[in-house]
Amino acid sequence: MASSLDDEIEDLQARVSSLKKQIRIQTSTLLTAPSTLQILSQQDKPPTPTPALGDTQPLETRLLAQSALQQAHNQQCLYRACATLTTFRATDPDPRAVDAGAILGLRIEVVSRARFLRPYYVLLNRPYASGGGDDGDDGSRRYLRVHRHTLPPCIPLAGLAGRYLPAPTAGSAGGEGREQDLGRFARALRMEVVRYHHRLGTVADLRKAAGLGGKKRGVGEDGGEEGGGAQQEEEPNRLVDISPADAEVKQLTIEWADGRTGRLVMGDDGEIVRLVAVGENGRDREAGRELLGGAARVDDVARRLAAMA
Amino acid sequence: MSRLSVPTTARLPSSLRVDPSNPAVSKILGRLSRASLLSVALDWLDEDNLHLAGPYLRRRHHDQDSDSDDDDETDDLYPPARSPAALRQLYSDLQARKGSKRDVLDRIVDGDWRHGLSLYQLAMADLQYLYDHPTSQKWSAYRIAPLKPPRDPDGEEAPEVDKQSLAMPRFHPSTFLKTLQTQILPDLKAHYTFDAHKSLPLLLLRIFILDSPYNTNLSLQPSKAATAATTTFDASRTIYLAFPHASPHLYLSKPQATLPGPVAGAGAGGEARSLRALLVEGIPKALSRPLRRQRVTLLSTSLATRNLRELVERRGGGRTNFAGGGWGWYAGEGRGERETPLDLVVPLPLPLPLPGRGLGETGGPDGVGAVGVKRAGLGSGEERAVKRARLVARGRFGESGRVGDGTGVERVDVVVEDPFPGGDQRQGGSAPGWQPNVRLTFHGSHVFAGIRQLVECGMIDGERMPGWMTGEEGVTVGAVRNGRMRGHKGSGL
Repeated sequence: MASSLDDEIEDLQARVSSLKKQIRIQTSTLLTAPSTLQILSQQDKPPTPTPALGDTQPLETRLLAQSALQQAHNQQCLYRACATLTTFRATDPDPRAVDAGAILGLRIEVVSRARFLRPYYVLLNRPYASGGGDDGDDGSRRYLRVHRHTLPPCIPLAGLAGRYLPAPTAGSAGGEGREQDLGRFARALRMEVVRYHHRLGTVADLRKAAGLGGKKRGVGEDGGEEGGGAQQEEEPNRLVDISPADAEVKQLTIEWADGRTGRLVMGDDGEIVRLVAVGENGRDREAGRELLGGAARVDDVARRLAAMA
Repeated sequence: MSRLSVPTTARLPSSLRVDPSNPAVSKILGRLSRASLLSVALDWLDEDNLHLAGPYLRRRHHDQDSDSDDDDETDDLYPPARSPAALRQLYSDLQARKGSKRDVLDRIVDGDWRHGLSLYQLAMADLQYLYDHPTSQKWSAYRIAPLKPPRDPDGEEAPEVDKQSLAMPRFHPSTFLKTLQTQILPDLKAHYTFDAHKSLPLLLLRIFILDSPYNTNLSLQPSKAATAATTTFDASRTIYLAFPHASPHLYLSKPQATLPGPVAGAGAGGEARSLRALLVEGIPKALSRPLRRQRVTLLSTSLATRNLRELVERRGGGRTNFAGGGWGWYAGEGRGERETPLDLVVPLPLPLPLPGRGLGETGGPDGVGAVGVKRAGLGSGEERAVKRARLVARGRFGESGRVGDGTGVERVDVVVEDPFPGGDQRQGGSAPGWQPNVRLTFHGSHVFAGIRQLVECGMIDGERMPGWMTGEEGVTVGAVRNGRMRGHKGSGL
């Protein structure tokens, strides 16, 4: 009895939350619609149309506030979707944080397989604001430093920060040291992140083109599709595994059905740097040439494999 | 096996069998539970492992000679099985039945593997113990970085700017093992086993080290100089390395003596430390590729814990490495939906527990009204204080530091380097006041969860608590100056 009651309560709570979610979706849809905006802007002009009713007034202001919030959010989304590199301000909750907890956030959007992934964040603070104590305050005050970030470890953030956001040197009193360049830092960082995701996407394409589905290959199915006659020829040259071999996804391990293995080295932008295939009798140049087919980029290989399949 | 044993620098072969009467065998097997012991035995009998873990089977000619067959059964408590399949069946039956661990252990040692257990088998049993008791090892995390002499141990200075600073070290298991072997001294013999961790994205390497110049059976025999009881096994050590996937980090466990006895105990401290030092020195060399001019080094990341999950969280391949504590919000912890700019629904102000001190963006209005209405509906002031404390805790800790979340560190050591309050402590360096020597050690099963609980129940004022008490720096050893952890820990630079 008690358990069924609990179930019922849980059920109802789930319904409440789903209905609330629906309300939020409907609200934002209605508030985004141009006709609603028109009505609201018209109502805005006569500020107190019905002063007699006390109840409508707060409702209207709340509606306007919600509309303003929605519009701000829409604008933010527009910038995020189109610029893919946006900044925002935040506060460090640490009471002893430098610079009164002021944080400048960088938000990097990544599109992969026609979807926006969760953005990467880099949060910067200004720890040099009162660090020196000398007259060099003015110059070094504006110097930024990476405080926290959510980038994966294969993005060379430390190197980029050292290159574009150098710390003010102690010797240069008037901030004569190397200048920081937040714009170039952000662009270089975004480029690294996007490259990384493109490489990941290329590997996924390659796997797909080679018929390596989600998890395990179906050996029987592949042979059946090829047809009985071609099966024996096809089998040894079939690729059974393509997987990234390092964190940066610049090296790929390739395995053929007959036990040959290979290593493909990709450049930053997906160009083929090197491919080595090793069979039983040492290096197998033939296999490498056959796989690449004169392609210069990994995408081309994926396209070729897809066309062959 | 050849009768001649020549000292070599090769590694110990996996097929080398250890006599079951060796105390190390009973030690390694004895600490497993009955269920684990049976599953390990079944793993040994797997087709893939049989060549390294073959059981003692009945010889062929016994089949024809029925008399001797009977004899075997009468005077042998554990008659040898006819085939691995039969043995597999037997152990499966044992799994279904209830019984004592002792029976299974005796059956393995005196029966089916009476001719000895291979080093491979012992490694599998040891790894099983590690899975059963995930906190049995104390791990330290190291970062694999391009070799450059560090100028500032705290890393307060920015790294050198050159092309190498953008290069990420790479790791190839078999090459690594080959070069590591050359780094190990010739009078030590090691046995290596790689294993992919069952639940975490890790590659485990178990290194079992013996003090012997031989890589044959001789290394397992009692040495003639010593008394009969002491074998080289007494000085053997097991050490684990873990390589997280897609992360330039490495976790190294503390070497453990196989047999904690008076012999091992006496010199163990220094010896174990030197072994660890040897490995810490040898591993970067094994990871380096001098021909390509890519030399790497291991940097300590001041994080030591027994919890592998915590290590994967803070030094792994994900987003949470340098977004600890409340910053985990940015890494997407606790937010179910993906955060896409195509979602035009205005986000709820849920992750902004405190207007003003919240972690969120301060750009737009936070929807304070909704929170305010709820708060006004609460009853007494005390209840409100509790509610507020919980909100503060959420703002400071985010989703981290929960008691049952499976992560957490056991010990945190902090040195406070602040001058004594009173006087002009704001000036820092210019007025060298009296600086007391304050060392804090937090100890418990999950230190930061404990601090969070204290914040939630109001013992610690969450709003005035310094940031390092939330564990967002991700270190277990650190120095605090001006209320902040020195060296910009937690920023990943």
